[in-house]
Amino acid sequence: MTSGIRILAVCAIGSAMFAGSAFADTSGKKIAFSNNYAGNSWRQAMLKSYDIVTKKAVADKVVASADVFTTADKDVPTQAAQIQNLILQGYDAIVINASSPDALNGAVKQACDAGIVVVSFDGIVTEPCAYRVVVDFKAMGTQEVTEMAKFQPKGGNLLEIRGLAGTSIDDAIHAGILEGVKAHPEFKIVSSVTGDWDQTTAQKAVATVLPSLPDVIGVVDQGGDGYGAAQAFAAAGKPRPTIIMGNRQDELQWWKEQKAKDGYKTWSASIAPGVSTLAFWVAQQVLDGNKTIPHDLLVPYLAFTQDNFETELPNIPNGGVASHEYTQAEAIAAIKANMK
Amino acid sequence: MKGTLGRAFATPWIWSFVGALAVWLAAVFFTGGYGAGGMLTAALSLAVFTVVVGVGQMFVITLGPGNVDLSLPANIGLASAVAMTVMAGDDGRILLGLAAALACGLAIGAANYLLIWALRIPPIIATLSASFVIQSIDISYGRGLQIKPPPGFADFTNIQVLGIPILAVLTVLFTVGAGLALQRTIFGRSVLAIGQNMRAARLAGIRVNRVRFATYALSGTLGGIDGALLAGYFRGANVDIGNEYLLASIAVVVIGGTSVAGGKANVPGLWGAALFLVLLLTMLNTFGVSAGVRLVLTGLIIVAVITAAGGAEAAR
Repeated sequence: MTSGIRILAVCAIGSAMFAGSAFADTSGKKIAFSNNYAGNSWRQAMLKSYDIVTKKAVADKVVASADVFTTADKDVPTQAAQIQNLILQGYDAIVINASSPDALNGAVKQACDAGIVVVSFDGIVTEPCAYRVVVDFKAMGTQEVTEMAKFQPKGGNLLEIRGLAGTSIDDAIHAGILEGVKAHPEFKIVSSVTGDWDQTTAQKAVATVLPSLPDVIGVVDQGGDGYGAAQAFAAAGKPRPTIIMGNRQDELQWWKEQKAKDGYKTWSASIAPGVSTLAFWVAQQVLDGNKTIPHDLLVPYLAFTQDNFETELPNIPNGGVASHEYTQAEAIAAIKANMK
Repeated sequence: MKGTLGRAFATPWIWSFVGALAVWLAAVFFTGGYGAGGMLTAALSLAVFTVVVGVGQMFVITLGPGNVDLSLPANIGLASAVAMTVMAGDDGRILLGLAAALACGLAIGAANYLLIWALRIPPIIATLSASFVIQSIDISYGRGLQIKPPPGFADFTNIQVLGIPILAVLTVLFTVGAGLALQRTIFGRSVLAIGQNMRAARLAGIRVNRVRFATYALSGTLGGIDGALLAGYFRGANVDIGNEYLLASIAVVVIGGTSVAGGKANVPGLWGAALFLVLLLTMLNTFGVSAGVRLVLTGLIIVAVITAAGGAEAAR
């Protein structure tokens, strides 16, 4: 069972349920996107997906405009000031990838008080008046170990690569992995290093810890770090373990090469950058008068398996990351799935 | 401190090597001797990149108070993207890509000094604001994508002979050259003289602006070549590839025994300090401490080593 299939299944049900629902009410509404960083492949894919979906939405007169505002750095005050500007400019909704979960709450509250709908995703805000689109990272961590058990049925030593310390995402994936290991006692995490979801940082961290480790049969990680881990094992002359991948083009390309060489097997999962488009549709639905939408929405992660990753590979730009753009119907289905 | 030992420990750079040895021994002790050689190989491979930018930063800092190149991380990021784009994954274009990285770094270094000299902006502000411009260029140029190196270049950055990376050997030769340039050439002596007293240096007939320009250009160029090497070793250019070298380039200069006040530089100390930083990470990763504890310990240990080195100097 992959989440890709799960998304499709849920969508089919959702579109059947909502077929014919009117959405003309939002044709005069303006939605702004406040983004705090654009410097990596994930963020670039996020912006690209957002651009594709919102351009079409504007052309189809679903909304009046959907503008993107990116601040230069991962800087909290800059983004807070930017949100205040967006309030003054009279936007009806703000989609936000926040630089901090709580430091922007003041600005977000101001926006809510001005009657503006705020939807956060990826980097979420804790202010209760805002909506949060959250990927089920804990399930992803657990699933990594479950998949690992299929490839390494005998069990053994695992190396864990963690993400940016102090973020909710890192904690959630880590908790999921621990839960997975508890369910599969044949595995033992012998070391845990910090890779910051970054290939360079991950490679460096793994390279420094590898000489001191006993034989490692698998690497569980958080995406963006799998390729770096593979390079570190190769540079140290250690046998290649089963490395869980994170949907990056270079990771899937490496997987493909290994598969062609000796049938290498693994699994890949990450948050799809296109979740930005889901946040956009959530904002549109709220503006449409849909008051029953829960403020915390849990959505599935995007996963690829041995059988379907090669089909996806040509769709990812060189050096980019796999994405999934939500259509309005898919978004409604994803919302519906949270209302049970 | 007394006697020969006292004199040896009065050399400021010895402390960086002592520190490196201590953290390595601690890590080896923890694993019961397992992986000792592998740790050194990994440390040498990674220290190279810090040493290369450290040399550039050392020359700049030696120019005297206020001189520092904060544009190195952005410079490294842009140069890595330029080098990989020019190489375009083709082994035949490696030299062309390296030349492009050098040119890119040189241009950034020259632009830095232009800001400092023509607009009279303090170096710390000039190089920091330049780095924002450079980073923006990099983001729009590379679109945040990872660009892969040609296989030949990627392999070259990782060749090892008996556990010693070739790149480290080349970098040792380069630092020996840098040491000679500092102590035995007119340029090097001029940098030291300017750092000791800019006014005196000018009155002595040193073309201060020309030497400072050359120094910033040198730092920029080394940042450029470092970007290309990093992209080769880490199999791909990206915007954030140079991030850690803001602190690291300054830290190795200071831990290595170069005076922050300028006028006194130390090349061997760069190696000791770079190895110390990598082995410190190795040790803490081997101990398996959490990310938060690791950052706190890294900070505290760096402070301790600098204090130890400074204390020895005062005793002298």
